[in-house]
Amino acid sequence: MPTTLRIALLAGLLALASNLAVIGFVYWQTYDAAIASLRHDTAEHVQEFADIYQFGGAVALRSEVEASARAGGPDSLVALIAPDHRALAGNLAPASIARVPLKRGSFVIALRRDGEISSHEAVTEVRRLGETWLVSARLSGGGLALRQLLARSLLIGTGLALLLGLLCAGLIARFVDRRVLDIAEVAADFSRGDFERRAWVGRGSDAFTSLARQINQMLDRITTLMNELRLLSDGLAHDLRSPIGRLRAAADAALRTSDPAQREHLLGNIIRQADELGRMLATVLEIGRSQTLSPQSHFASFDPAKLVAEVAEMYEPLAEDQGIRLWFEGPDEAPPLSGHRQLIAQALSNLVENALAYGAAGKEVRLSFAEQAGSVVISVADHGPGIAPDQQALARRRFGRLDPSRSSGGAGLGLALVEAIAHAHGGKLVFGDNHPGLDARLILSRAIDG
Amino acid sequence: MGRKILIVEDDTETAAYVQRGLSEDGHSVEHAATGVDGLFRATDEKFDLIILDRMLPALDGLSVLRALRAAGIATPVLVLSALGSVGDRIEGLDSGSDDYLVKPFAFAELLARVNALLRRSEARVGADPKIIVGDLEIDPLARQVRRAGRKIELKPREYLLLEYFARNHGRIVTRTMLLEQVWNYHFDPGTNVIDVHVSRLRRKLDSEFERPMLQTVRGAGYMLAA
Repeated sequence: MPTTLRIALLAGLLALASNLAVIGFVYWQTYDAAIASLRHDTAEHVQEFADIYQFGGAVALRSEVEASARAGGPDSLVALIAPDHRALAGNLAPASIARVPLKRGSFVIALRRDGEISSHEAVTEVRRLGETWLVSARLSGGGLALRQLLARSLLIGTGLALLLGLLCAGLIARFVDRRVLDIAEVAADFSRGDFERRAWVGRGSDAFTSLARQINQMLDRITTLMNELRLLSDGLAHDLRSPIGRLRAAADAALRTSDPAQREHLLGNIIRQADELGRMLATVLEIGRSQTLSPQSHFASFDPAKLVAEVAEMYEPLAEDQGIRLWFEGPDEAPPLSGHRQLIAQALSNLVENALAYGAAGKEVRLSFAEQAGSVVISVADHGPGIAPDQQALARRRFGRLDPSRSSGGAGLGLALVEAIAHAHGGKLVFGDNHPGLDARLILSRAIDG
Repeated sequence: MGRKILIVEDDTETAAYVQRGLSEDGHSVEHAATGVDGLFRATDEKFDLIILDRMLPALDGLSVLRALRAAGIATPVLVLSALGSVGDRIEGLDSGSDDYLVKPFAFAELLARVNALLRRSEARVGADPKIIVGDLEIDPLARQVRRAGRKIELKPREYLLLEYFARNHGRIVTRTMLLEQVWNYHFDPGTNVIDVHVSRLRRKLDSEFERPMLQTVRGAGYMLAA
């Protein structure tokens, strides 16, 4: 059975059940109220007769019963019965008299008026007065009529409830169908190649809006990754072309030359170009991998301040050889950070190499470590030309190269990798102004647990 | 002295290239083309070293490695792989391999690592606390270095660098090996950051002596010679 049909049927059944419950409740309530009021009347009536008996004795009682039988309304029945079930006075049919229990109390029994053909349910009060039994009854005609009306209403109500239930069910089914089908259509369109369409979310925060929102977020993520991949393959194809061209040219030249020294030089070039290509590919792969890192399986705890100090120590001699002062500013120790030590070291090393390559003119590179609002801030600041705000997006992009004349392979990948690593750690890469120069800050969240 | 090496590699061209090179260096090399065959041979005979390709058809390299270690075979294993990301390297090392080399590689790099691994397994027995290479004497406990009786002051990282060179003296040590073993970084920095450290160490080690110990091996790396 389709889910929609099942939901519709369930809704219909629930509507029916609730309608029946309400009508049933009203039915019993009105019936009980009617009976209670009749019981009160009969009790009062009997009390009146009891007073007359006490005052006037059996004779007065008997004449009063006879008067009452004549004068009473069509609903009112009264009888005086001898202990042997003989009628002494009143308007009860003899067959009914035989049925009246001769004991004090209030009963609901079917009684017939003398001279009529059908019995009716009556609230009956019985009391012994001297040697005789007094019976006063009220036909519960009113109550019964109400009850019959209610029974009829119940029947109609059930029919209506069934109808309304089915209608509601249909509406609910349509609504559910429409919302879910809308989302399914978006997904289907997406797999057919329409990457722009998104599901309608609507207002509020129910399961449907949440489903639509989640689906949209998933589609956004897929689109972003797809675009990145396209950009990546485009960039890769573009960037691979020139080193492969140089590689081929060098191999070609090596093949043609007869001078051994020249050949060795060319072959050395070939190896260098091949290494460069390999490094570029490795970086591309690393970016891909860092996007699928999971804190549970890849993260471990380490001291982030120590790591920054270590990287500074590693690069200090190289910087000094280039006439640049490189130093570390920060605490000797910091609370452990959960992350991928190797990747963070690599990100940091990329930032330092960028600073040494592009910020060399400033003669200073400062590495620093600080804690800030649940995050770790690692900064690599130089006094070079910096990155203009309108060029920052380009700098982060894979293969985005600010200086087109630089042809060293992979240079365009460095910051993209740093950013991917930051994202993997719930963090970001921020470019600040070092007045003058670039202050590249790697902000890593402490909230990610391994 | 030649050693017995098993190479498990499905790419016959790479296998032949490695086999030829290692044979020229005096080792006897056997080749297995599948993981199953490799596992069989490695459990059947005793090798001094196993070179294991990570991506093999059917039974992959890391599974072979785990099976070997589970079987109690402690032969040093060098994993070769086209999977070069930091995560891949660490996974490879965590699976019980002794070294990890990413394809494509320079043969000099492979040879240097093979020799370092072979030497390491030799050195496990009867280790002398003092390392002596020619007139160089290193005391790892005190972290003190003397050359021809004269004390040489080194920074902590320079000391670690020299100790690694000394433990592998007479053998080529590549830049990547230094980065991995001395700095514990598994990425390629792309600049000559390692060379600068080596040249500083060389200045302290060799400048006052006639005969330089720390030599550059062109196209491969460095070597500490007695």
